[in-house]
Amino acid sequence: MDELDLLKSQWQTREHQFPVLSFNDIYKMLLKKSSSIVKWIFIISIGELLFWTILAFLVPESSKSFMTEMGMDTVFLIINIVNYTVFAFFILLFWKNHKRIQVTDSVKELMENILKTRKTVKYFVIYNVSTAVSLMVGVNIFYYLNKEALAAAVQKSSLDYNAVPPEIFTKMFFIGQIVGGIIMVAFVLLFYFLVYGFLLKRLKRNYYELEKMEM
Amino acid sequence: MDKELEHKFVTELETNQNIVHKICRLYTNDKDSHNDLFQEITIQLWRAYPKFRGDSKFSTWMYRVALNTAITLYRKSKRRVKTQDFEGVSFKISSEDYDDTVEEQLKLMYAAVKDLNDIEKALVFLYLEDKNYKEISATLGISEVNSRVKMNRIKVKLRNVLNP
Repeated sequence: MDELDLLKSQWQTREHQFPVLSFNDIYKMLLKKSSSIVKWIFIISIGELLFWTILAFLVPESSKSFMTEMGMDTVFLIINIVNYTVFAFFILLFWKNHKRIQVTDSVKELMENILKTRKTVKYFVIYNVSTAVSLMVGVNIFYYLNKEALAAAVQKSSLDYNAVPPEIFTKMFFIGQIVGGIIMVAFVLLFYFLVYGFLLKRLKRNYYELEKMEM
Repeated sequence: MDKELEHKFVTELETNQNIVHKICRLYTNDKDSHNDLFQEITIQLWRAYPKFRGDSKFSTWMYRVALNTAITLYRKSKRRVKTQDFEGVSFKISSEDYDDTVEEQLKLMYAAVKDLNDIEKALVFLYLEDKNYKEISATLGISEVNSRVKMNRIKVKLRNVLNP
């Protein structure tokens, strides 16, 4: 007899050695909250959506008048409209994929649907990071080409750069922008690396195992 | 209506709780995690229950949801330091039959099964539960042939673990 079949022969008869939960024990469990990865992916995704949306509203007044001074408010209005349309599209897609996740599907189907939902979020992130980066680059090129206007706008705004000579100021300004940009992107990437790496590591490993069986 | 459904569900789960316990035992190593997973499975079963139409047995329907939760949805809690392993509870060796080689072999076998990866464990679990390959393949979402091949490989693997 196979070793596994030996275990199998004993498998059913030993069931009574498990703890026994009463009706009330189980009933109480229905009231508890789930902590499944699907729930966490959902919460984090909603959080991201809010984060990026609120961020767009949080542009300080001084920056707004600064942009107006530089003649860029129309450009930003258009960018915002496009941005929110794309956001809406992502929310819709995310919602549709999220709805498709069914715990009664086969193990493989369930994993595929979760990964698909996660992919929506991944593209959402890629979109956000790349827009942020290209905006940053675009704005800085614009600033660079309009150095005089920039200096004038800075002088007019409430920013405390007045004491700095214009030459040094321009250098400081661009270095500040570049460093700030790199820190922001690094922070965002680290966040996603940690959050999704942590949440999906096991799922990906198991999905790979299933895939391997079909090869 | 909701109360009625709740009552029906809890009664069914109470009757079939051993299936869930067996899965929890296979996929966790300590009592707290076992309870955690049991609870998560209960929640997932309850959520899916309104769609359960009774065209299969409740227990049959449970396998899929419970395994899906254990393999995919459950987030292993990192905050707990691994407490004492309690797998001995399921294949307990009492002092008088300690020399019993069959008992010893069972314990080794169970430990070897626990060491398999999540997917292999699911396969072995369904096999131990006397499910046929058609059911096994439908639960996992792979072809029948492939689940048979994989099962044979696992058997060889387990044999090698036990008889090095």
